[in-house]
Amino acid sequence: MKRKLISTLLVLSMTAAVAAGCGGKDASDTDGNKNPSAEGTTSKDNSGGEGDHITFMAPDWAIPTEDQLEAFTKETGIKVTVNEVGWDDIRDKMVTASAGGQAVADVVEVDWSWVGEFYAADWLAPMEVSDEMKEDMPTLETFTKGGHVLAIPYANDYRLSYYNTKQYEDAGITGEPRTWDEVYTNCKTLKEKGVCEYPFALPLNAEEKTSTYLMWLAYTMNGVVFNEDGTLNRDSVLAALKYEENLIKDELVDPADKTSSGMDTYKRILSGSANFLTGPTSFVSKSTSEEDCSVIGQIEPILVPGKDAKSDVTMALPEALGVTKFSKNKDAAREFIKWYTSSEMQEALNKSNTAIPTRNSVLKKLIDNGSIQNAGAMLEQAERIASPFPGGIPSYYAEMSHTMYNAIHKMALGELTAEEAYAEMDARIAELSFEEAYE
Amino acid sequence: MNILRKKLLPYLLLTPMILVMGVLVFYPITATFSYSLKRWKLTSPGDIHFIGLQNYSSILESDSFWYSFQNTLFILTAVVLLTSVVGFLTSIFLHIEVKWSGILLAIAMLPWALPPYVNGILWKFVFSSGYGFLNKVVIGLGLAGQPVEWLNSRRALLLIVSLVVSWRSIPFTALVCLAGRQSIPGGLYEAARIDGGNRYTIFRRITLPLMLPFVAIGITSASVTAINVFDEIIALSGYNDLGANLLVESYLTTFSFLDFGKGSALTYLVILFGTVLGGFYLRSMNKEVDY
Repeated sequence: MKRKLISTLLVLSMTAAVAAGCGGKDASDTDGNKNPSAEGTTSKDNSGGEGDHITFMAPDWAIPTEDQLEAFTKETGIKVTVNEVGWDDIRDKMVTASAGGQAVADVVEVDWSWVGEFYAADWLAPMEVSDEMKEDMPTLETFTKGGHVLAIPYANDYRLSYYNTKQYEDAGITGEPRTWDEVYTNCKTLKEKGVCEYPFALPLNAEEKTSTYLMWLAYTMNGVVFNEDGTLNRDSVLAALKYEENLIKDELVDPADKTSSGMDTYKRILSGSANFLTGPTSFVSKSTSEEDCSVIGQIEPILVPGKDAKSDVTMALPEALGVTKFSKNKDAAREFIKWYTSSEMQEALNKSNTAIPTRNSVLKKLIDNGSIQNAGAMLEQAERIASPFPGGIPSYYAEMSHTMYNAIHKMALGELTAEEAYAEMDARIAELSFEEAYE
Repeated sequence: MNILRKKLLPYLLLTPMILVMGVLVFYPITATFSYSLKRWKLTSPGDIHFIGLQNYSSILESDSFWYSFQNTLFILTAVVLLTSVVGFLTSIFLHIEVKWSGILLAIAMLPWALPPYVNGILWKFVFSSGYGFLNKVVIGLGLAGQPVEWLNSRRALLLIVSLVVSWRSIPFTALVCLAGRQSIPGGLYEAARIDGGNRYTIFRRITLPLMLPFVAIGITSASVTAINVFDEIIALSGYNDLGANLLVESYLTTFSFLDFGKGSALTYLVILFGTVLGGFYLRSMNKEVDY
């Protein structure tokens, strides 16, 4: 009898444990606030006084120091629990939580490429920004959709060109390249004179950087990438594709760029194995770092070339912070973002996290006082930031980019011509833009 | 009362497992099927509705599905062949008693312990065209002047993926086959030798038929692994169309393009494919072996 009783109790307790384990209740702290510290993430709780409590999910480079967080808590009374998550995982976590009607965190990292889908899915709460901020922060346009500002950019990453001045001297080339045709001709000269075997750094692997490269190449070359209805602008994109195809055919691009990661391709300029790069602003500091660069003093950041002269525009790929729609602490979350993106914090974050400021006034100050060295045309280029997406980032960006980089990759492998690659991406993007417009 | 208790007790004891299976297996399977019958794109939250089998027909009409289905079949065939043949042969060698048998067995099992993504990264260092070990060997031996782009053709990429997956799944098959080989009574071999059987006859008439059920277990495991390959493909070639199998296609549709309806339908097609294959294996495994 005793054994049966024990067995029954064991069965009941196991059943209860299973039921409890499968329960859908969220982890809550004593204040009833969500605390979604997920597996595979690291979190730190910033202790402070009484008041609101928010969670902040971001990659390592966006995490403020303990001192900075304590100062914020002291100033506002808002406690911040930081969830440091790998950049790649943030979108997945956001999707999973939001699909279930939960806030993954109160404040969350928002990459420029996620804006369209987050807006369409209605996962972000709109932000309020002053006219002064709009004026000072050109990348805000990227995070504006349907007239709403969905996130405030904190890390500036816009496209800037770099070239190796010593290799130009060795090849007898004078002056920096001003047009894409000049870049091409100079690369051929560098190769022919044996100065640099593969002078042009061009991502060609099937990954995101390959699509974005085509976008800004077309944008800076012809000032347009997409038509008003979201379809590809044939003349502009096809010209950019043919430019890339010729670079590949003339062996001005390293064959390894077809399989290397985009970042590895960019880094070729830091070792002197590439002469010309149009890439991230972070290469300004990398080009002066002994740890990263073996040709220090030879790389100069210049304005991105255009068709007949320097391009009037450049594309930005910034990162921002937004407030999740399901957050129960929206006001406190907005207060945090306001503090985080203030001029003082942008200056402080440049020092602590090497983040490039999104406010042009702060960027100018840091260049002027020498905090950012070897800046070259960095500030002038920042003033030319514009978005190639007429209606903002589309909700189908991920699928569009997937189609683009696969078509370009096939072109690089010789499976498709530039025309065929264009036809492949144009057909799918036309379908996607039609679906978005009419369904 | 006692009879009632006796009848109830087994069901009571089974309740926890029924609950676990119900919540973690049957509910997701049923829910996924219901999602697959809906138009459900997360980027159109106001437009979720029942559309019957439209997701399935749209998938079956798309070129990308058949492309990734072909890739899946290629990987499945190559992995099953490599794993069963090499796994079987490895077990025969491991059965030979030598001083270092234990250590050799431990070394042979190592790849099995590797997480799939780590396995993929490891092999990426071998096959990378830029910094790969294989290219260093090939160029060092003078067999090629320029780095070979191993991962840039569909066939080569699929073959490399199959090789990498097999490398991870061979140890399990070898271990199962070794257990099978060790379970064959020694008396059978002694009797065969007395009857004049040579090595080849003994292998063909005794070893091979008696080990077949164990090879079948290895094949089943390799098939499941081959259909579910994801990490190694991503590590070796990313979300490149060239190497995409059904699982990569399903992941992209669901989590990258946020189309839960179509993604669920794709998942169901993968389940269906696995079920047909599993049924086939189960039938062949049920054949009895008499010693």
